[in-house]
Amino acid sequence: MTDALLLVSTCTPKSLGDWANLLAVIRDFLSLSLFSLGGGNTLLSEYHHLSVSEYCWISSDQFADLYALAEAAPGPSSMLVGLLGMGAAWREGPGWALLSAVVAEIAILLPSTLLMVIAALSWNRFRDSPWRIAFERGLGPITLGILFAVGLKILHTADHGVPAYLVSIVVCLLTLRTKISPLWFMAIAGLLGGFGLINR
Amino acid sequence: MIEPQGSVAAMASPEAEALAPPPDHRQLFFGMMQVALSAFGGGLSAWSQRIIVEERRWMDNTSFLTGLTVARLFPGPNQINMAVYIGARFQGLSGALAALAGMLLVPFSLLMLVGLAYFSFRSLPLVDRLLAGVVTAAAGLALSMGFKILHQYQRDPVALLLALATFVAMGVFHIRLIPVVLVAGPLAMAWYWPRGAAGPGVDR
Repeated sequence: MTDALLLVSTCTPKSLGDWANLLAVIRDFLSLSLFSLGGGNTLLSEYHHLSVSEYCWISSDQFADLYALAEAAPGPSSMLVGLLGMGAAWREGPGWALLSAVVAEIAILLPSTLLMVIAALSWNRFRDSPWRIAFERGLGPITLGILFAVGLKILHTADHGVPAYLVSIVVCLLTLRTKISPLWFMAIAGLLGGFGLINR
Repeated sequence: MIEPQGSVAAMASPEAEALAPPPDHRQLFFGMMQVALSAFGGGLSAWSQRIIVEERRWMDNTSFLTGLTVARLFPGPNQINMAVYIGARFQGLSGALAALAGMLLVPFSLLMLVGLAYFSFRSLPLVDRLLAGVVTAAAGLALSMGFKILHQYQRDPVALLLALATFVAMGVFHIRLIPVVLVAGPLAMAWYWPRGAAGPGVDR
């Protein structure tokens, strides 16, 4: 009885050194790959669910940290999955962590890459197909709804307290209204945090 | 210049002389690496167009824009899909993998260093305080994603309703992504299924 209660209240971290677990992780990322609409950001709340709630690799605060680092780092988006994979196996040491990072990144990219190869080679055949048109027009609004839900989820994950929410809202408005590089926002917000003005 | 593999498409096209011979795997790898390195300050899409179309002349602008359309339409990160598209067009699956590896190698290695540093030093109080600030700015960026594309749907009440229903399902009722997409996707596709020349929204 007490064991069951413990499992509900606290999340037990699962070890990636266990092969069955590693396979489960690969399976989860593989199956998410084809649902990365709108450039991949639609998957953010699923990543949070997997790594924080389901497998307990990292805390919610760490998830926010990793999301911010992946956003600040140069290169294409979606590399957050590599950082999550690293967090998943950090307890087993840096070697395992790197392996897990690479495996997770490959798993999230492989299905969408294979589909994209097929698309690139046969685009002329289906560019005017009603399926293509319905897919493009229909999935657009759904992506929009998902992005709002994901944005809110990240907001609640990252922000604790009034100053944090204020900074987020100001950054959101400035991103929409100006062309200032997001790196400036992160640098300034980082300074505010460093001086103890934003806490969590 | 010697053409290693006589390309039928290039010879038939009037712009044949303007285009370079089709890149091999090595060129795909290093070309995409150049794109990734040039775009370190941002603007990956613009850099990729500049390098692929203007500098290296692998494809004309029309083909590039078609590629961008396909890359945005299909699941996966747009820039990665674009690299895959370019690689696949010239060398099939193996070309796609070469282009993908070229695009990811340096940024991913850097990110791994960042990750190793993070997990090693995250418990230092100063690091934690800095990150407590940085995440609020990142959250602001995440919040702006939806607003950025909202204007495309302003005149389509059905689209807004679909978006709202999706948002409520995920944001309020915490339904997971895959069931949401599997239910809402087919419904939305049925509504937007092209019916003759009138197009969606006109027919009732």
